[in-house]
Amino acid sequence: MVSIKTVDVVKRFGNVIALDRVSLDIKHGEFFTLLGPSGCGKTTFLRSIAGFELVDEGKIYFDDEDVTYVPPHKRNTGMVFQNYALWPHMTVYDNIAYGLKVRKFPKEEIDKRVKWALKLVHLEGFEKRTPHQLSGGQQQRVALARVLVIQPRVLLLDEPLSNLDAKLRIEMRAEIRRLQRELGITTIYVTHDQEEAMSISDKLAIMNNGKVMQVGDPVDIYFHPKNPFVADFIGQGTFIEGDVVETDDFLIVELEEGLGRVKAVPSRKDVKISVGDKVLIAIRPESFSLTQVENSNAFKIKIYHVSFLGNIKRVQATSNSKKFLVDVDPSVKLDIDDEISVYVPYSLTLAIKV
Amino acid sequence: MAGITERISKELSELRWHFDLLNWVQLFSVLAVFTLFLIVPVLTIVQSSFIYQGSFSLYWFQHILQDPLYLPWKGVGGRLFDIIEYTTQQGKEVILFIEGLDFGIILNSLYVASLTTIFSTSIGFLLAFIFARYKFFGQEALRIILLAPLLSTPFVGAIGIKKMITSEGVLNTLFVDILRIMPFRIELTGLSAVILVQTLLFYPIAFLNIYTSIINIDPSLEEQAENMGASGFYLFRTVTLPLSMPGIEAGALLVFILSIEDLGTPIVFRGSNADKLMPVYIFRNMFTPTGTIKGDATALSLILLLISATIFIVLRKYISLRRYAMLTKGGVWRPRRRSLRPLTTILVYILCIVILFVALLPHIGVILLAFAGEWPSGELIPTYFTLRNFVKLFTEPGVLRSILNSVVYASVATVLIIILGVSAAYLVSRVKVRGMELLDTLVTLPIAIPGIIIATGFFLVFIDTPLSPLVWGAPLLIMSYTVRKFPFTVRAVFAGLEQVDKSLEESAINIGASRTKVFFTITLPLIFINILAGGMLSFIYSMSEVSTGIVIGDANHNDAPMTWKMYDMLFKGFGGSFVAAAMGVMLMALQFIMIVGSNLLLRKRAVALIGI
Repeated sequence: MVSIKTVDVVKRFGNVIALDRVSLDIKHGEFFTLLGPSGCGKTTFLRSIAGFELVDEGKIYFDDEDVTYVPPHKRNTGMVFQNYALWPHMTVYDNIAYGLKVRKFPKEEIDKRVKWALKLVHLEGFEKRTPHQLSGGQQQRVALARVLVIQPRVLLLDEPLSNLDAKLRIEMRAEIRRLQRELGITTIYVTHDQEEAMSISDKLAIMNNGKVMQVGDPVDIYFHPKNPFVADFIGQGTFIEGDVVETDDFLIVELEEGLGRVKAVPSRKDVKISVGDKVLIAIRPESFSLTQVENSNAFKIKIYHVSFLGNIKRVQATSNSKKFLVDVDPSVKLDIDDEISVYVPYSLTLAIKV
Repeated sequence: MAGITERISKELSELRWHFDLLNWVQLFSVLAVFTLFLIVPVLTIVQSSFIYQGSFSLYWFQHILQDPLYLPWKGVGGRLFDIIEYTTQQGKEVILFIEGLDFGIILNSLYVASLTTIFSTSIGFLLAFIFARYKFFGQEALRIILLAPLLSTPFVGAIGIKKMITSEGVLNTLFVDILRIMPFRIELTGLSAVILVQTLLFYPIAFLNIYTSIINIDPSLEEQAENMGASGFYLFRTVTLPLSMPGIEAGALLVFILSIEDLGTPIVFRGSNADKLMPVYIFRNMFTPTGTIKGDATALSLILLLISATIFIVLRKYISLRRYAMLTKGGVWRPRRRSLRPLTTILVYILCIVILFVALLPHIGVILLAFAGEWPSGELIPTYFTLRNFVKLFTEPGVLRSILNSVVYASVATVLIIILGVSAAYLVSRVKVRGMELLDTLVTLPIAIPGIIIATGFFLVFIDTPLSPLVWGAPLLIMSYTVRKFPFTVRAVFAGLEQVDKSLEESAINIGASRTKVFFTITLPLIFINILAGGMLSFIYSMSEVSTGIVIGDANHNDAPMTWKMYDMLFKGFGGSFVAAAMGVMLMALQFIMIVGSNLLLRKRAVALIGI
């Protein structure tokens, strides 16, 4: 188990910059997730940690050891591939024992450790099966056992749940987290599914176009996005640009499209916003209410679509051509073209510096 | 200074990261073999073409460019056709004698290859379009039968067809004497016979390439065009034809190269103007009476090389290993096929039967010859049948010896091709270092280099070494097979590698196995089938290699392979061609077994394997 540190890592594929000066610190035993749209560089980063991509610039450290030029088979990482990559010409037992045989463990020791790994992933008795006799979830477990059995310094998971159906995905998510806690192993997890990322991680890095946009724990990132990309990518919301005209207890922001002035709070305490700055006002759908509360901004909106999602109704509406996304209680009766007033507390009206 | 050292150490670290010891061994063995047995011989030809009486000179080229033997300075010779009348005991006979015009050696080669290409591609396209776009009864069976000519080497086919198309041959006997539906005899010989035989032998190559590319057109592209109102010939001209161009071009270029370098077909028509083609002329006039290589032969080789190299550069677009892998990955969708109405089906059948009848003439001829006890000209079939010719394969010392030679050489060459081929394919497919495209080019290059040139180059380079073919034929024959058949078989391995998901190897590396370990425990077992199929093809291609076999074999008859023996027997007077035909039938049977075997191993992928 190690901490991982990258310093200004750059990776280019031809003219495309896949990683643009990526510096990340991942602590001992942390469950760290890379989240971003496809093509943002998250998989390239994971493959650079495993050593499958040689970075063009920058350094990669496992604890204090510089592993930048260490070939992949000497890094002792455990990577689980998106398609599991189980060897079709070997049994489950041989798949799991492979890394131990490479390390020239004695036969009894191999036997003992493979048994341990199979127990860890709840697959006792599957030794003699071949990969194509297993279900997707079972293949996933074998892939996990195969890397855990060598006791890697870091566990690398590349969208490991994307090939599973929705129910199994949630089950395996919990299973992976259980294993990680039980072994206390440093883990880097790559996904494009923000819900998955939020639910599983200690810490997240949001990436876009090869750059790290923000690093933080899930709560921090959801409620205190650092920039418009993160606010937009994580969760949903209503986004309106405006200019800061006054700073007091609250920021007073003149909104575009003649939507008037609102009072707002900076999304992050560490970002200083002053008069004249351009900001993006971001409001989460659940922050709105239909009844007036104290210290809240009010908007008049016209509904153009209502979708019933079970626990809530999600209203899509406009005000002076800006789009609003508002969650309401499913029992409320609403119709298309209704004009209603909605309210949002100043404290949940987030201003993000553009 | 510090910057440079840092840079160098970084580059070295990167190289160390990319290459395992195994990769270095693989790279150097492939490079060593190709340098010694391909690059050096070819460069030596270039060099010696410019040397006259010990110093640099353009003498040989001036000589070639001025001599009416090579270019038509004294006018066009030969006859396109001629009508000969003569009287026999039965009365007057008329023969339409078709030979083809003689424009000198260089232009002859060019126009024969061009016409062969045009005819092969036209037949190939017509058939490919019908088979790719329409559904009819018996389609699959018919498609496989139409590929039958692939089963024979040009040499074997030419022996068979010669018996058919002479004035006293089987066809004239059948149509003039027996059926009496033709008023006069037609004799095909010389360059026109070469064009006919080559067309029949090479159209399947055009067919396979074009068929594969039509099958791989995404059906939605045509459907979209129809959706927007295009149909019939307009749809064909604007969408289908442009999209199948890669296959048409690749097939045509490959046929051109195969035709211009073909030695096996024209030497069968010895004594006609088929002698005036570049490979034949080089073969016949390579040595001076003192045993050294003639300057005009090497200069002519260089001209032939320049022509095929030019074609190769154009073809290069289509024949890299990568390109090939792309083609094989296509075809996952269901191709658009329409059912034919019964009447049209009958028309298609008539067309196929006509093509098939003509295309199988060489095979029928060879098989009849092989079982013939005696076959005087003017007889439709041999006077009696016998197995004597096959018995001779095992009883006549010279014949048996040549067969055993061929088996040994082809086996060793196959082992070499597999070891080097797996290495080259693995490097091109897996090691991502700048310059690997050059390796890809290098290993596909032999397609462009006529066998006669490899053979000439070998003589020039090795004549005074222990590897001299005059002393010992085996080493250079084996190496010529290895180099020449390399591109065709390395594809099978490369295709297999591209179908193995890279993550299967990466996951093994990830848990601690070195590249070498992964290569032997993961990669090789997963592509075993492809290696086996590739090996079978290498073996049979090597057994049937004509041009280097004849040229090198001619220098040392004891060590000569069976293709040389066939050539030798063919012109050795009475009965020789029967045994040669029996050897041809044996080769065809072997080819049939190997090709069907590798087809079964590779299933659908095989279609693309034999083509480009």
